[in-house]
Amino acid sequence: MKIRRCAAILAARILSFGCRIAGKQGVTMAGKLAMRIDPNILKDLSAQVRGRIYMVCGTNGKTTTNNLLASALEAEGKKVICNHTGSNMLMGVAAAFVLNASLTGKIDADEACIEVDEASTVKVLPYMKPDYMILTNLFRDQLDRYGEIDITMELLEKAMAMAPDMKLIFNGDDSLSAYLAEKSGHAAAAFGISEQVFDQKETGEIREGRFCKKCGGRLEYDFYHYSQMGVYHCPSCGFSRPKILFDARDISMKGGLSFRVGKDLLTADYRGFYNIYNILAVYAALCMSGHSPEKLNEVLKNYNPQNGRNEQFTIRGSKVLLNLAKNPAGFNQNIAAVMEDPDPKDLIIVINDNAQDGKDISWLWDVDFDAFSDPSIRSITVSGIRGMDMRLRLKYVDIPAMLEMDVEKAIRDRLADGCGNLYVLVNYTALYSTHNILAAMQKKGGTS
Amino acid sequence: MKLSIGHLYPELLNLYGDRGNIACMKKRCEWRGIEAQVTEFSLSDPVDFSKLDIVLLGGGSDREQQIVCTRLQSIREDMKAYVEDGGSVIAVCGGYQLLGHYYETGDGKMEGLSLVDLYTVQDSPRLISNIVLKNSSIFPYEIVGFENHGGRTFIGENKPFGEVVYGSGNNGKDGKEGILYKNVVGTYLHGPLLPKNPHVCDYLLSNALERKYGKGELSALDDTQEIEANRYIRDRFVK
Repeated sequence: MKIRRCAAILAARILSFGCRIAGKQGVTMAGKLAMRIDPNILKDLSAQVRGRIYMVCGTNGKTTTNNLLASALEAEGKKVICNHTGSNMLMGVAAAFVLNASLTGKIDADEACIEVDEASTVKVLPYMKPDYMILTNLFRDQLDRYGEIDITMELLEKAMAMAPDMKLIFNGDDSLSAYLAEKSGHAAAAFGISEQVFDQKETGEIREGRFCKKCGGRLEYDFYHYSQMGVYHCPSCGFSRPKILFDARDISMKGGLSFRVGKDLLTADYRGFYNIYNILAVYAALCMSGHSPEKLNEVLKNYNPQNGRNEQFTIRGSKVLLNLAKNPAGFNQNIAAVMEDPDPKDLIIVINDNAQDGKDISWLWDVDFDAFSDPSIRSITVSGIRGMDMRLRLKYVDIPAMLEMDVEKAIRDRLADGCGNLYVLVNYTALYSTHNILAAMQKKGGTS
Repeated sequence: MKLSIGHLYPELLNLYGDRGNIACMKKRCEWRGIEAQVTEFSLSDPVDFSKLDIVLLGGGSDREQQIVCTRLQSIREDMKAYVEDGGSVIAVCGGYQLLGHYYETGDGKMEGLSLVDLYTVQDSPRLISNIVLKNSSIFPYEIVGFENHGGRTFIGENKPFGEVVYGSGNNGKDGKEGILYKNVVGTYLHGPLLPKNPHVCDYLLSNALERKYGKGELSALDDTQEIEANRYIRDRFVK
């Protein structure tokens, strides 16, 4: 048994090391190999965590929320296991533990922050007993892989039932998350934003859950934040937005984010309204688990994700911001974040259709790209396997785009002829490679 | 000239970028100086088919489709008259299934509109894939899209929308995809269907103009980007 465990850990390390040398991520493969050699490894290692296990789920914001939470716990002096890279299926979760274990099969961890893909929750839970599930939101995503959002919700419901002692920390502004929390019967705390931030106009934005999950009646909204996030109730059955325990107020988005929650004022440099929810989720998790949110501002200030989520690069004096945009709700929020920057900017959009992206890219047409027809957008370049689809999408909102199938060339060209302020929006499988391209250019001073 | 496009129940049937089909029809009218008015109907709205030239029925989740299905029975007679009179309909995925007699799932039988002689039975696995069709008698080049359906649809002796060159189509067995009946196009293809298949979009527009004004000719547009995107998918999957 001991030998088997040692072999599993050693094999995973070697594989992971080899992959890194080859410039590949390899985390998932390392986890897979370890689980094949020693099927109990995840169960035993995760049971060694001395404190709490936090499981972060939800369509958007998982990686940012999870990594921020891990950083916040580390700031408290805790040793934390975290699947930083966002490898969030069973094998990625296994790798996070295995690659942190000693060869004798021991891990030294106070807490674990583990993001788990919604559909994988039922596969992960037999091996891991989380104390908390943080549910960020539920949107349509990769319909070809997961089927409809209803199917994702059924899976999450099953997963919650598998862990009856797990407490929920969920987004109360999302009627779908709130419905799941209520139905599960678990102890739960909601975070949300009760004040109206945006002027209401009917944007035609795609919204999930317009109808009450409980009775099928049409939900009524006092106002929306974005997508289906907002303050809602069902006039037919009485289902309504739950009591919000962690309520963000005095929200400002001028030159960054700031808001109050409880007695604390939180500020962050990044743009994007959606990040308020991510920070709020972390704040709620810290408070619920008896940690102090005192150092959260410091953590937010020093937080440099290095994983392509809002990641900043400087290449030969040009500012480059890389961000992941992989579904309509996320993309719309990203567009809003880009447009919060009033300065002239160039834009590169990379769309792939590999299995992990979802092979169906119809969702591009559910994104509101109209906002890019603004004089501050100097140019748009499209790339990736589905660059032609992206170009066509823009054509139908009368926005011309340049096509360059080679991502590296697209970046190099825009750094050469652009305005020094470049945004790169990519979907999932383009993230890692684009990140590497930008990181290498930054290191070299972009002289290539 | 003016075309009036009715989008039925987008709040429920809006999976898979159906908005792209609307945007495509609208733009291709505008670019030709044809006015295009789009009306979205919600479940409680009455639908006056005499005022519509093109009707779009999209896809939804099974649960949402069930809600729509109940409502559809009350507009069935009017919609039937519209179809028989040569009114244009584009029905995609779930909307396509609803055109037929029924959709049989493990949970029972969902009654359809019976506008077209077809029926659907649920089976596994789901048929999920890129898809390429050919129908050279009507469309000058291939039709490309993406299919994602558990239903197996049988259209009997009716004309299909196209022959399957790559993918599964109606039922994965008979090599047919979709249906053409009068000016109705029913299909599993989203992607969305129309932007990468401007020839299909123009077919719908032309039929609608012909019925309304007796003149269906459309001026040519620069479709270089559309055709490039279409060919790219075809060449990727059809050797």
